[in-house]
Amino acid sequence: MSAISASEKVDGFTRKSMRKAQKQRKSQGSSQFRTQSALVELSPLPQLKDVPSTEQQELFTQKLQQCCMLFDFMDSVIDLKSKEIKRATLNELVEYVSTNRGVLVETAYPEITSMICTNIFRTLPPSDNPDFDPEEDEPTLEASWPHIQLVYEFLLRFLENPDFQPSIAKRYIDQKFVLQLLELFDSEDPRERDFLKTILHRIYGKFLGLRAFIRKQINNIFLRFIYETDHFNGVAELLEILGSIINGFALPLKAEHKQFLMKVLIPMHTAKGLALFHAQLAYCVVQFLEKDPTLTEPVIRGLLKFWPKTCSQKEVMYLGEIEEILDVIEPTQFKKIEEPLFKQISRCVANPHFQVAERALYFWNNEYILSLIEENIDQVLPIMFGSLYRISKEHWNPTIISLVYNVLKTLMEMNSTLFDELTASYKADRQREKKKEQEREELWEKLDQLQISHSGLAHSNSHMLHNANANNNNVNNNNNRGGGGPPDAAQNEDMEVDAPAPAVPAEGPPGVY
Amino acid sequence: MDAFKLMKELRANYEQEGYYIPKETGLNLIESTEQNGAGISAKCRDAQVEDLWGLSSFFGYSTQTFVLAVNLLDRFLALMRVQPKHLSCVGLSCLHLAAQRSAPDATLSSGHELIRIGQRRFTASDLSRMEKIVAEKLHFTSSAVTPLTFLHLYHQVALGQSPSRKEVLSLEKLEAQLKACLRCMSFSKAKPSVLALALLRHEIKAIQSEDMWEMTCHVQRHLKIADAELQCWAERVARCLSDYASPRCSRPNHKKLLWVVSRRTAQNLQSSSCSVPDLPTIPEGGWDPSQSEDSSEDLSSGEESLSSSLEGEGAYFPLHLRRRR
Repeated sequence: MSAISASEKVDGFTRKSMRKAQKQRKSQGSSQFRTQSALVELSPLPQLKDVPSTEQQELFTQKLQQCCMLFDFMDSVIDLKSKEIKRATLNELVEYVSTNRGVLVETAYPEITSMICTNIFRTLPPSDNPDFDPEEDEPTLEASWPHIQLVYEFLLRFLENPDFQPSIAKRYIDQKFVLQLLELFDSEDPRERDFLKTILHRIYGKFLGLRAFIRKQINNIFLRFIYETDHFNGVAELLEILGSIINGFALPLKAEHKQFLMKVLIPMHTAKGLALFHAQLAYCVVQFLEKDPTLTEPVIRGLLKFWPKTCSQKEVMYLGEIEEILDVIEPTQFKKIEEPLFKQISRCVANPHFQVAERALYFWNNEYILSLIEENIDQVLPIMFGSLYRISKEHWNPTIISLVYNVLKTLMEMNSTLFDELTASYKADRQREKKKEQEREELWEKLDQLQISHSGLAHSNSHMLHNANANNNNVNNNNNRGGGGPPDAAQNEDMEVDAPAPAVPAEGPPGVY
Repeated sequence: MDAFKLMKELRANYEQEGYYIPKETGLNLIESTEQNGAGISAKCRDAQVEDLWGLSSFFGYSTQTFVLAVNLLDRFLALMRVQPKHLSCVGLSCLHLAAQRSAPDATLSSGHELIRIGQRRFTASDLSRMEKIVAEKLHFTSSAVTPLTFLHLYHQVALGQSPSRKEVLSLEKLEAQLKACLRCMSFSKAKPSVLALALLRHEIKAIQSEDMWEMTCHVQRHLKIADAELQCWAERVARCLSDYASPRCSRPNHKKLLWVVSRRTAQNLQSSSCSVPDLPTIPEGGWDPSQSEDSSEDLSSGEESLSSSLEGEGAYFPLHLRRRR
């Protein structure tokens, strides 16, 4: 990083634009800092395939130990030779483990895990870009990837080796290992997270004793994410693993799993960055429902509770998820939630944001949903009718109007009698409303006119006004409009000065209040 | 309108109605045509009328418009041999004509909007040409005597002295029933006066009002409508309306409708449909087949309770959890 001259600073601080420009130049960060003070050069060892099999084990161990040396990739020119030696060695080790049998003797396990731990377990640096927008910005990639990638590859082949014995490995791949592994999911480098995903998946599969622990830790990560930090880069990957776990749940579902669904997965929908992991999250939810359909009602009620009120992008995602849920819903469960669900859908359909309205209307293109609606048309149609009819006249977007026509036509054909009844009552309602509005308008006009005709008499009636006001304490104050006295005052010209006017409010315009 | 005037009006319309009935031979031809044949079949016509019903409902057209449109359509089809591919154009032009005549002051949707919503493939100029043809062939100027005309008059007669009866004998309901009947081609053969009377009597029978029934008999005598004819249509009306009122709904063939969405939504739909997970399922509590025999530390019968993982790994769990077993 070059020094910034004093002239480029303001108040002694570097201007933000300068800082940003500097940062953008480096798109790679590394979490590995050279721990050794002295530079140790690696001496190349013979190839594994070149030594007789009796010596291979020893050489294998030596190579593993050699790979425990870490290098600084932030500086691209130092230690080039040693880095290359390590890279080639790692490559060789990967191949050795993948192709040969009898490699994994008991003594090899601690060496292997030690090499892996040294290389990959590190504290991830804080993000260079605090307002990292995953959809727009480039992620900060790991600079030491050339080595780390091979280490991950090695770990994977190690786990998948046919001679792999979890009973031996579990002494080394223990809870501490898993915990550190989980922390790495927060890496910004997507390639790393991809490897971690596969690795954790294999570990979960093979180490039955660690399963509960892994689930609990993932729970914790998610809960922290939802309620505390709102930041974690590996949510999508963890959800993918969970998807394959949920898929394998035995029936009947344990209470622990149901709790997980309701306390973690559903609230996770409220996260700001939902778009990054929504597909995986929806998959998990649907898998749960396929396992245990009785969960449908609480799930949908939960989603309705958290329904986005101001973020239209999220609303579109929620609607997509609802459609996926409806695709697998059982008709008996549908009956339980149809009312609150369609109330929400009718609100979505009338939403001025065209994408939300379109997505909601598109439900009617789904055969299975149509068949569900048809069976329950008596409940669904009255809920949907009002808003559909209203937007057919009022919506700004012509595409939406065509879609509304399609939906209305479909509903019309399902049950014409009910449709006609609803049309008639809707029209009657609107007529009544219009009439009321008209009456109100007329009343105000009448009042206006009275006021105008009063203004001339205002002076002579001023003490009458006093009395009238004193007596009108319970009534709405039309009297205060521009000094016009109680409407009756002008009409009774021989009215006595002190005549109280309590009768007036009673005769006053009824509907105005 | 007083009773005398009403009766006069009835008579006048009765004499006119003959001009507005579609040609019987033409209707017969349509009924006998097979579906997917060379000409228009009854089913085609019925489907078209259903469509028009949908459109007029959507655009808020009055019953008058719809009934008039159906009348024009039937008369035109009975008169001219129309190819099935032109049927939708004919239907829409009848509707547009009717809309223009019935409610010239109401906000009218232009032909463009009708075509767009109706998902038709022809253009607005096609539509106006067809309208001219229809109007010319039928010598159509402003209105026609339709069953609705009679229905309104009969309704006024039946209300007669007591307008409070409006709640009992609802005109809206009668209009809805008329629309339902018109969707069936067989009713196009009926004389408007007879059809309307049959409809009215059906409803009066349902509400069981003696004196209104008397009124209808009076009207029948006044117009000299034959008993047999009236009875025949009354039966058909009853059958049609019982179908209409039944809770059984017909599954619509929604594949005929075009669902057009904006580009963004289309992209969104595409991407969400391909979410296939690539990690294989991990069965719960199951023995991983690639794992060697290792029963001693592992859980009994696949129990995955938290306590099992506490064995031997003390560091991460507080004591009180361990004791709780």
